[in-house]
Amino acid sequence: MSRLAVRVAFIIGVALLGFGGTGFARASVAALEDLAGGAFVASGAPALLGPIDAAGRNGWRCVPERTAQTTQPGEAELPAAGAPAAGRP
Amino acid sequence: MRRVTAIAALSCALFGGTAAAQPYSGVTPVPRTTDAAALHALASDREIGERIRLGIAALARAAWPAARDEFARALALHPPEPQGSTASYDLGIALTNAGDLDGAARAFEAAIALDRGFLAARANLVSVHLLRGDLAAARAAADAYVALAPDSARAAYARGIAALRAGDATTALADFRRLLARDPKYAVAHYDLALAEQRLGDYAAAERELRAALALVPAYARANIALGAVLLHEGNRADARAAFDAALRDTDDATLRTLATSLRDAIGR
Repeated sequence: MSRLAVRVAFIIGVALLGFGGTGFARASVAALEDLAGGAFVASGAPALLGPIDAAGRNGWRCVPERTAQTTQPGEAELPAAGAPAAGRP
Repeated sequence: MRRVTAIAALSCALFGGTAAAQPYSGVTPVPRTTDAAALHALASDREIGERIRLGIAALARAAWPAARDEFARALALHPPEPQGSTASYDLGIALTNAGDLDGAARAFEAAIALDRGFLAARANLVSVHLLRGDLAAARAAADAYVALAPDSARAAYARGIAALRAGDATTALADFRRLLARDPKYAVAHYDLALAEQRLGDYAAAERELRAALALVPAYARANIALGAVLLHEGNRADARAAFDAALRDTDDATLRTLATSLRDAIGR
């Protein structure tokens, strides 16, 4: 084999390794990005408000109706930090 | 004089004791009619009230099928308002717990059809649609809820979650900001606001909100995982690893632990 052929083969080999390495790195970054996408899951749905008796939703005395209406998150029976994620009851 | 005082004190004690010990409810007025239709209507009213009462008692002891049957029976008697919407609403709760989410959604919709301003039914309808995974229905129900109660914290949260899950980060952003304007200490709103910011591409704002959530609840594992992912996107691998480690330290949830472990290990590769 001539020296030229050895050189060409060496250059092609280095190029292939370079392309392969870049491709591998790109694939790794993509896989990491995909994995990281699973980290952004919305919080859970609010738990159901409780039952109402036969008197009906009689104004502010009806606790579920009051809870549905309150302006304060702390009184609205919303999920707490660490509650199950969305889609899980 | 002493004897008079003693008698007076004794009388007070006796009358007071009698009143406190009275165990009976007020006497129900006897129906003053002999008309068959009127008597039937009175009996029906009584049965509707009793069925709702029994259904609520069944809900309290987690006897979902028994509760469902009581409310269904009350509804079969065609109750007037507010019993009609109330029985439908309670039926929705029983069906949700029994796992019949489609039936529950129909029950809450029936309650709303009878009473358009029934906010508790609207709130529960959004939750049931979210549990069913019907994001379009959840969003429509949440929009109607917000339209009726624009200042309601629960309406803002419900629509924010529905919007976030459906990919409308702009609406979610506005709803969670509104929630935080009322209570800046609600950590969950900071977390979901961060998710909306991340989806809109503002990673710096997302990081700020996640750090705010963690300042309020340091053991908030999900916020630590999201923070780690944000830091990873920003190229800060060391801090990302620390965030995943913190999440692993703070949670026993198997799903969260698997996610945090995978992300932390992927950094090292």
